Amino acid sequence: MASTLWIGNIQFGSITVPVKLHTAVSQNRVQFHLLHKTDRVKLHQRMMCKFEKTPVPAEEQVKGYQIDERKYIILDPEDLEQAEPESSRTIDVHEFVKSGDIDKVFIERIYYLEPDGAGKSYGALAAGLRDLDVQGVCMWVMRKRAHFGAVSSTGNALRLNVLRYIDEIIPAQSLGLESFALSEKEVSIGSELINKLTVKFQPEKYENEHQKKLRDMIEKKALGQKIALLTPKHLKPTAPGKLLDALEKSLKRAA
Amino acid sequence: MKTQTPKKKPSGPSAPKKAGPVEETAAQGIWSGTVSFSLVAIPVRLVKSVEPGRVSFHLLHGKDYSPLERKMFCPEEGKAVTHEEIVRGFEIEPGKHVIMTDEELASVSPDRSRTIEITEFIDLQEVDPIYYDHPYFLVPLKGGEKSYCLLAESLKRTSRAGVAKFVIDEREYLVLIMSRDGALAVSTLHYSDEIAPPAADRASSATEATKEEINTVKKSIQGMMSAFTPEKYSNSRREKLLEIVTKKEKRKAEVEAPELEEEEKTEGMADLMSALEKSMRLVKKTGPANHGKN
Repeated sequence: MASTLWIGNIQFGSITVPVKLHTAVSQNRVQFHLLHKTDRVKLHQRMMCKFEKTPVPAEEQVKGYQIDERKYIILDPEDLEQAEPESSRTIDVHEFVKSGDIDKVFIERIYYLEPDGAGKSYGALAAGLRDLDVQGVCMWVMRKRAHFGAVSSTGNALRLNVLRYIDEIIPAQSLGLESFALSEKEVSIGSELINKLTVKFQPEKYENEHQKKLRDMIEKKALGQKIALLTPKHLKPTAPGKLLDALEKSLKRAA
Repeated sequence: MKTQTPKKKPSGPSAPKKAGPVEETAAQGIWSGTVSFSLVAIPVRLVKSVEPGRVSFHLLHGKDYSPLERKMFCPEEGKAVTHEEIVRGFEIEPGKHVIMTDEELASVSPDRSRTIEITEFIDLQEVDPIYYDHPYFLVPLKGGEKSYCLLAESLKRTSRAGVAKFVIDEREYLVLIMSRDGALAVSTLHYSDEIAPPAADRASSATEATKEEINTVKKSIQGMMSAFTPEKYSNSRREKLLEIVTKKEKRKAEVEAPELEEEEKTEGMADLMSALEKSMRLVKKTGPANHGKN
């Protein structure tokens, strides 16, 4: 049973929905320790003073805002406290938007919202959001931080999507990409190729085979067996002049 | 057992040596290699597409106001170790590790460590957002610009995304390659066995609402419909802290950090690269307990 991270109420207009927040994703992956090569001692992450070259414990760390080279304004614990939002148990829905309007890049993580008690309002909100295909844009306070998010519904269940603030999203324009003139023929063959290679999305189909292979390799090495070193596959980039040819050949192959 | 130096050699094609935004982005590369679909291969670099809003605050040493840096520290020798002195070990029993070299790790899935091979395409509409993990951008390397544009344009026209798997260090990532504003965007996905089933489906009978109750909610929702305007929502904590900074700055309350010795440039670069290469894994380690924004 998933543990409850937070309990509160979704609130909008005169409607209140008591909910509990649960984790939706858990990862079970091979974890390595980072060791010191010479003595195999397990390394710890430490904040080091760049001047004294010594580790600095948390109680000796201060937060500074850089105003110039080597010049900082120190933020005291009282300053940090002053910036904390007032604690609250409300997921405050400000407005509703069409589900498709929220670009996926905003999603930082998703929690499940479970009903807290047998309230019918939970079912009514889930059905309302589902039928109208909308999400409720909201703010709430959790662990002394104000969060931005969207309440959505899947089937009969509500979810809380934690969204990134817009200033955290790097726009594609900042990559400085040059646009290239493509012929209609190239784009239409490219699109046709994609259509030919399109399958239904079945997430269960994708397994982490690498993880199993990695475990096998670790086991082999633990038994003192030799590991065959393989060279990573490198592909030769398609030359711009050969692109159309490569697309046409690909299309034939996909047919 | 022979251990090799786990050097992070950039084994992909080199970045375009051109001034301007491309170079700036190239310096932030997390990974470089090739993205391919069918017979088309595009040399690319993986860069971040989101940045937590905590960049302007620094951790300092309270005693001398020297900036701090995150380092791996050997408790036995009482000193920080450089990237070259670090090896990866898998703990088989308490205190006993099997060391895995970079070469060995690259040999686990050699087809996937330098190539993002799109094996199939899917309809973006079919992907439940719960699968999305972390977003990135791909940037074309020299010679790949045209095929990069072609893939981005074709994905946009078809509203599809490419599915691929690739490996960085010890981790395999299931990813979608999508088109976003003329660029190729990547999102790592969670594997389906990492997603917990929601409990609410089981509790649905207890919360099932009547038609009337649903209609009341719908009316309320319809009265609050709007366009999605994320600009309206801001990180108030950050803003309040900046206000405090401005006030203190007026009072000339600044402190000065000691002058640091000139760092060896090469080592600094290598450390930066390794830190960036690790960033993808570090992103995963950020659990729900510490993802607060500063």
